[in-house]
Amino acid sequence: MDTNTCIELALIIIKVIIISSLLFALPIPLTWIERKVAGHIQLRLGPFRVGWHGILQPVADMIKLMFKEDIIPDKADKWLFKLAPIISLVPIFLTFATVPVGDKITVFGKEVTLYISDMNVGILYILAVAGIGVYGLILGGWASNSKYALFGSIRSSAQMISYELALSFAAIGVVMVTNSLSLVDIVNSQKATTWNICYQPLGFIIYIIAGLAEINRIPFDLSEDEGTLAAGYHVEYSSMRFSFFMLAEYVAMVLMSVLAVVLFFGGWSGPILPPIVWFVIKVSAFIYFFMWVRFTFPRYRYDQLMTIGWKILLPLSLVNILITGLFLI
Amino acid sequence: MTDFLKKILFIDLIKGLSLTLKYNLSKSFTIRYPDEEKWLPYQRFRGLHTLNKDAQGRELCVACELCAKACPTKCITVVPMEDNNGIGIADRIAKIYEINLVRCMFCGFCEDACPTTAIRMGREYELACFSLDCAKADKQRLLAPQEIPVEFEGGYVIKARLERTKEGIRVRPDLTKKKRWW
Repeated sequence: MDTNTCIELALIIIKVIIISSLLFALPIPLTWIERKVAGHIQLRLGPFRVGWHGILQPVADMIKLMFKEDIIPDKADKWLFKLAPIISLVPIFLTFATVPVGDKITVFGKEVTLYISDMNVGILYILAVAGIGVYGLILGGWASNSKYALFGSIRSSAQMISYELALSFAAIGVVMVTNSLSLVDIVNSQKATTWNICYQPLGFIIYIIAGLAEINRIPFDLSEDEGTLAAGYHVEYSSMRFSFFMLAEYVAMVLMSVLAVVLFFGGWSGPILPPIVWFVIKVSAFIYFFMWVRFTFPRYRYDQLMTIGWKILLPLSLVNILITGLFLI
Repeated sequence: MTDFLKKILFIDLIKGLSLTLKYNLSKSFTIRYPDEEKWLPYQRFRGLHTLNKDAQGRELCVACELCAKACPTKCITVVPMEDNNGIGIADRIAKIYEINLVRCMFCGFCEDACPTTAIRMGREYELACFSLDCAKADKQRLLAPQEIPVEFEGGYVIKARLERTKEGIRVRPDLTKKKRWW
């Protein structure tokens, strides 16, 4: 190995470390923001006592989670029970290998790309790997040996499968417009023309609805429906294993926001401000949107969920592809 | 047809979202008690009792024991004694005047029964403490003037400060800074 390869390798390792530690740390501010948004939407204040405006509340929660007893039910499938949180966590982290947060920047006279790798099948890779995440939910619910958990995981698997189709089809519309599966190319092509939202308004709506279902958030969080299932698939989990599920959920939310920005809103392109700032602004707007939706809408019923998925979103997304194809010809 | 249009344009969903956005941007109703704020009750509030004095500083209580008779929970103990030193307005004052605050249900019958307006319900409502001693309010405690003067108008949220002492936790109000709650 010559020096250049060594530097490249070191750079990749550094980027991996930075991104994964960022992702591990991200739920800390996100839970705080989420609780603040929840509070203010309900005319409350949210957490207020730990630190300035309760900003240290997630840290306190984290300490609490760490010191809680890690309970494994007697009749649970021990091995799968321990494996499930990791299975739900790892794929969602893996997807960030191709998620770009910006274009090249120059550090010490060397060009550094703000993504770990620019796969030419980026979007496909993300959808495929994120799809593995559902196994964590299914196995977690199955291994818990509890009715509620099992119901939750069955619901979530049905939901994930039906909405993943619509989600991918919505993404295909974008791919058809930009002629590339690579996320960096998608952003660059939007820089050249306009944002994809102008070409794909229907695709965007389908993407947002299916994305909400994909990351198991209200109004589609059937898998952890408090009213009927106690806590759904993670009802038997406690301590750090539970927090792994929560972490996976938050990172999935970030992933959906990032993808929405990259696919439809021009990624890091924008006037005046530096690209990374634009990217952060857009992504946080989407994260706020997801939280806003969560505290506005009630949960859908299970049959409604399936109806929306199969009878409305899937045909609509096919129509979207058809229309895009016609326009391209 | 309009229903269909409403559905495809997400009219209802947008209405809901705009409502919650409005709430998100408006001020919250929370009173930040006990750290920063405290509710100041109206003058009619029935809190911890207080024994009044007249303008010359003489005790108004003549130990007639009517309050003890009127009390539905029998939580007031009054033992009268004779006194010629002018402590009270008459030559009969209370030797012991004790209210068992644990038993008291703050109905205010004692103030109705009182012929000299000696006993009145005050606006003190933080009665919790670490030992049972404070469950009994003796004469000395009842005679001491309360933190919020009677003539001070109530119905406000006032700035306050949390104080931790050995006797218990108190929220000290700052009467100069008050605001309407709604």
